[in-house]
Amino acid sequence: MKTYRITELARAVGLSRSALLHYDRIGLLSASDRSRADYRIYTERDRRRLERICQYRAAGLPLADIRALLDVPGRPAARVLEKRLRQTNDEIGALRGQQRLLASLLRVAGKKIPPAVDKDMWVSMLKAAGVSPQSMERWHQEFERRAPRDHHGFLASLGLPEAEIARIRAFSARP
Amino acid sequence: MGAKMTVEDFTQLFREIGLDEAAMLKWHALFERRHPDGHQSFLEWLGLDAAKIEQVRARSRG
Repeated sequence: MKTYRITELARAVGLSRSALLHYDRIGLLSASDRSRADYRIYTERDRRRLERICQYRAAGLPLADIRALLDVPGRPAARVLEKRLRQTNDEIGALRGQQRLLASLLRVAGKKIPPAVDKDMWVSMLKAAGVSPQSMERWHQEFERRAPRDHHGFLASLGLPEAEIARIRAFSARP
Repeated sequence: MGAKMTVEDFTQLFREIGLDEAAMLKWHALFERRHPDGHQSFLEWLGLDAAKIEQVRARSRG
């Protein structure tokens, strides 16, 4: 029957030699045999046990739970697996929450106009479209009256300093 | 606090200070020609969806 040295078995399942030594120490997987020079000799049966360990690890089970699963005969497996299933559901719920939060943060960030358009550009375009300075003042007044917060946000998006924003909003707020 | 300005509110503001449809089209055309990126971000700020933004910008280029 095929047997394995520790390094050989570790390589076969993609683990390190020290991981197998650790599994031995905690009583999760011990070599069934020893060579005359006292090297660990793993059997085909050990290998099958290790493959189950790897499968449970891939499902995120802690090593202590895996040991319980493998060592207790009968079907206590369902309870351990259900516990892990509940955990993954909780983790998915928490990640969904983070996902929603990130999406809404990005939406908020996306609402702001970067000062790609500054005040002078706006004024010159409005002038070119035939808007008089008096009309622009009236426009600010209406904007301030209807949506003061958006008026502020709009002026800030043009890159105006707070002091100038305050000045514009003050004259806009006068009756 | 005022509600979020919609594109209709914005348009109404300009209409009240005497800009007619032709003037607004001219304004969009100017915006698109001089500051295409600014035009895009301004329309996004107004809350227009991507399809509507493309429509407005295409018309402004035409």
